Amino acid sequence: MMFPLQHFLILAAILFSIGLMLVVVKRHAIMMLIGIELMLNAANLNLVAFNQLYPTHRDGQMFALFVIIVAVCETAVGLAIILRTYHFYQTSVPDAVAELSDKP
Amino acid sequence: MERDLSETIALVRSSLHAFVPELILSLGILLVLLAGLLNRRRGRLTLMVFGTIVLSLVTLPHHAAPFGHTLFGGMVRSDNFSAYLRALIDVGGVLTLVMAWRDTRTTERLSEYYSLLLAVILGAHLLVMSQNLLMVFLSLEIMSLCSYVLAGFSFTRQGAEGSLKYFLFGAVASAVMLYGLSLLYGFTGTLDFSSGTFSAALQQQQTPLVFVAGLMVLAGFLYKLAAAPAHPWAPDVYEGAPMPVVAFFSVVPKLAAIGALLKFVLVLNAFGQSTFDWQAVLAVVAIITLTVGNFSALWQKNPKRLMAYSSIAQSGFLLVGVVAFLPQGMQFMLFYATVYVVMNFLVFIYLQGFENIGLETIASYQGLGRQRVWPMVFLLVGLVALTGLPPTAGFTGKLFIFSALWEAYALSGKPVLLWLLVIGLLNTVVSLFYYLRIPYFAFIKNGESPTSTNNLTFENLFGLLLVLLLLVLFFSPGLLMGWINKITFVIR
Repeated sequence: MMFPLQHFLILAAILFSIGLMLVVVKRHAIMMLIGIELMLNAANLNLVAFNQLYPTHRDGQMFALFVIIVAVCETAVGLAIILRTYHFYQTSVPDAVAELSDKP
Repeated sequence: MERDLSETIALVRSSLHAFVPELILSLGILLVLLAGLLNRRRGRLTLMVFGTIVLSLVTLPHHAAPFGHTLFGGMVRSDNFSAYLRALIDVGGVLTLVMAWRDTRTTERLSEYYSLLLAVILGAHLLVMSQNLLMVFLSLEIMSLCSYVLAGFSFTRQGAEGSLKYFLFGAVASAVMLYGLSLLYGFTGTLDFSSGTFSAALQQQQTPLVFVAGLMVLAGFLYKLAAAPAHPWAPDVYEGAPMPVVAFFSVVPKLAAIGALLKFVLVLNAFGQSTFDWQAVLAVVAIITLTVGNFSALWQKNPKRLMAYSSIAQSGFLLVGVVAFLPQGMQFMLFYATVYVVMNFLVFIYLQGFENIGLETIASYQGLGRQRVWPMVFLLVGLVALTGLPPTAGFTGKLFIFSALWEAYALSGKPVLLWLLVIGLLNTVVSLFYYLRIPYFAFIKNGESPTSTNNLTFENLFGLLLVLLLLVLFFSPGLLMGWINKITFVIR
């Protein structure tokens, strides 16, 4: 049984929106990281699902594989940076880390 | 699409000859990391990185054919346009290295520092060459991931904060871009954005969703360019990062992003046949970028933040060259980019020299004009060039891109282009006020600056070279334009 393409696209759009909302609403850097991860996975789902339309290619799947690897690297770098910030500020809430700004 | 293994290997082998600079850079990254484990002497490491970048610069291919070569089955293409931008990126890398060598503050983990710099240069090389959506994403991520770490390389509180902000902004921007790329793949069925299938499929489906997908992809490029509305990370990151990294960020990722953006937007615009006016979209982005960058810079007290807003504004000027959508616009944009590299590094090398002797705010430059005449005079030339006044090449560059924009307006008659022209010229006037604040404090205001035995001799010699370059390019821009004119810009 094959699901129609629309189902996947709608699911991906919902995932993307949830991810974006997490990034905007949540105050904790780790939660923002999870949101970013959801957004990347939404794109992955899109890439793989769209390949239904083009069964002769495997570009979408290839792209998704690369994205998974990049996402891992991004998370690793991100966690290291968050840890570093925690070391200096004793918090990982980006709003509380605000020494740099346009001072009047 | 099906290829067997031997064919694929033959394809890769036939592509390697035009890929030598990138191979050298990759090898250099590994060697510098290894050398860092064995030997921590600053001079040797610097020399090694210097050798790597210069080698990649001299091995850049020159293509007799205007189309260049498509490499690796359509992943990247090496042509004269990308070769020029790659050369410029390498020059930026060399200048950064000179600054890093003079930087007395960054002494920790030097081999990692240098290999990250090399990796960003590699990513920039790949981005200007790429003609495949996958390659665009990957090379952008190579640049971004290394930049996040580099932003925190001062190992201070501010550095950590800057890199956290940079990371969060950047990760969201690249996720949004990726979603846009996935939609574009869905519409067209191919990742090769220079192919006929891609643009033909886009022309058939001019739905609003294509427009949204295009905007999402643009977000990724604009973020790397630090163009509005994706600019707010720039000042914070610049303030926290070490000075060579700041100079590097304001040049190398920008050049790479603008090169890729130019190709991509031309495809999106479907050579003028798109129902969506991408020229107008970019013009609006350029207007906002110019205005936000210049007006925010007016109130800055920290030279690094000032230069951050200045670099946002300068991306606006680079975008003006893209907005023209003309071959001349592209060529003048390359000219402006070249001049921008020179004048930007001229300013940064002195800001670093002053930072090294303990001057960290613009107000502390009081009286510096009398104590250190030559450094301030050279810095003044750099700032005058950034403003775009004669007799420096900054004036020539601005004249060129605005004349290209005028031509584009005369051709298409779109009012938004005229607005861009007017607002761009007004912004040049605004920029005069903040660029000249540094010399104002140094020459006009009286004050005592800390006495230091450091006479900035090296900076002066180096600055003199850059100043001469700026003057020569003003009096005979033909020297450079002769080269640039040979570059024919073709997308396919």
